[in-house]
Amino acid sequence: MSDSPVIHEIPHVRVWDAPTRLFHWAIVILIFVSWLSADRGLMTIHLCSGLTLLALLLFRIGWGIVGSATARFSDFLHPPRKVAAYLKGLASGDKQLYAGHNPAGGLMVVAMIAILLAQAVTGLFANDGLHFTGPLALLVSDDASTWVTKLHGTIFNVILLFVWCHVVAVGFYMFVKGDNLVKAMFTGKKPHTHVPADIQVSFARSYVAFLLLLLVLTVGGVAWFIIQGGALL
Amino acid sequence: MVGSFAGTRRVSASAYFSGVAMATLLGIAAAMFLRPAFGHTVLQLVGLETVPQAAPGSFYTVRVAPLFEAHCISCHGGERQKAELRLDSFAAVMRGGKHGAVITPNIAKDSSLFTRITLPATDDRAMPPSGKTPLSKDDVTVIRLWIAAGASGTLPVKAIKGAPALVVPVKMPELDLAAVQRQRAPLANEVSRLQGRFPGVIHYDSRSSADLEIDASLKGAAFGDSDLKALLPLRDRIVSANLSGTGVTDASAPLLASMKSLRVLRLMNTKTTDATVAALASSKRLKVLAVAKATPAALAPLRQRGVRVYEDVDVR
Repeated sequence: MSDSPVIHEIPHVRVWDAPTRLFHWAIVILIFVSWLSADRGLMTIHLCSGLTLLALLLFRIGWGIVGSATARFSDFLHPPRKVAAYLKGLASGDKQLYAGHNPAGGLMVVAMIAILLAQAVTGLFANDGLHFTGPLALLVSDDASTWVTKLHGTIFNVILLFVWCHVVAVGFYMFVKGDNLVKAMFTGKKPHTHVPADIQVSFARSYVAFLLLLLVLTVGGVAWFIIQGGALL
Repeated sequence: MVGSFAGTRRVSASAYFSGVAMATLLGIAAAMFLRPAFGHTVLQLVGLETVPQAAPGSFYTVRVAPLFEAHCISCHGGERQKAELRLDSFAAVMRGGKHGAVITPNIAKDSSLFTRITLPATDDRAMPPSGKTPLSKDDVTVIRLWIAAGASGTLPVKAIKGAPALVVPVKMPELDLAAVQRQRAPLANEVSRLQGRFPGVIHYDSRSSADLEIDASLKGAAFGDSDLKALLPLRDRIVSANLSGTGVTDASAPLLASMKSLRVLRLMNTKTTDATVAALASSKRLKVLAVAKATPAALAPLRQRGVRVYEDVDVR
């Protein structure tokens, strides 16, 4: 027999459900597509990606209320004092374990959802001054639409800043703390050494996510129908 | 390196953030390279590049900038920056947009701004886009000449030859009706009364004036010295009087001479003589006089003063 090293498999714990993970990576793709399409003037694609982004954000807000334990706002929304204490502990090397988002990460999630929501909503009222107007742009004055368009551009720069912060933070956990959050967001699992020992994550049923998505799409579809109908009158 | 955990190599926090700082700087440098306009903005912000300025009175300021303002800045100005391009300042024009510089000094055909404004209107890339006011041929010529001359911000207007004449739009002053009413007020009742007595004879000089014109030529001999005397209250405001063909005689000379605002007086086919012409010598504002019978000697003082004199021509 050869002296091959013995690989000890570290047991993993499932912490992220599929809807949360799909949402996360869909958002990554949609931000990239929205950026590229706007940059290249492909406004139909930009509209589609923006509306999809909006629908997913609404879904995520709903999932933050009725979803699995680690997807819920109540799990990762903490008061500022606790966030500050967490960051202080992080700097001093304290080992603080969370199954889902840590307090700083939770704040990042909420901030990212808020800024993306603002971007998607302002996009509805924006226009490019040429051939494209957002689906709700005709409901406001031309001046208001122009102002919102400018805001839409400014918010995009804030999103870039947020994305930079997010990537730097994820890199910090990966390379400094040895906690591969990216892999966990793909597989849904974390090494048991990176989650509290006594944790029991409860997961929502898949059909709840399906019904929630159906609800968002139905409401969105009805709103679209009303808006388009109104524009034709 | 601090150690390894779960298959991921670990680095110290200071090493990691040093790497982040370097990667961020590299990212900014890449963005500056890929987006020259962004690059120029950053360099100008940190003082490594001077902000180009256009001089007052330069060809750019007088001829080119107004064209951008009229046709371009609604989409490429402070409100909107399509393609990240602004054309509302010389620095911004020379900085270009997200696809780089839009002006190549000396070579118009290599300047994307020029090629875009010369594309046929049917081309999707034509600027200004459909629905916006297009540039005229003269406008395009002005921009071509400016680029060909080096796209300078300081070159004076006269330094670039062959530019189409500058068209200066005429701006009419807004009519201040209230002010006009105030000017007319002192004589308004009198004017109204006399307009009723002599229909079609008394008019205001213009909508914006309180000055009066008298035209009794269509009244013929029925309008005589006594009728003219009735207009005495208006004499200071009368700037033009056409009394040709009327029954006015030399008896009205003192009244005509007392019209201190009178600039034009027509007395063709009347019985006025040198006596009236002599009386008008004191009319300082008189510029045009048309008379029936007057000797050259009587007209000489008026002519010397620069009054244009027209005399009756005997066609018989």
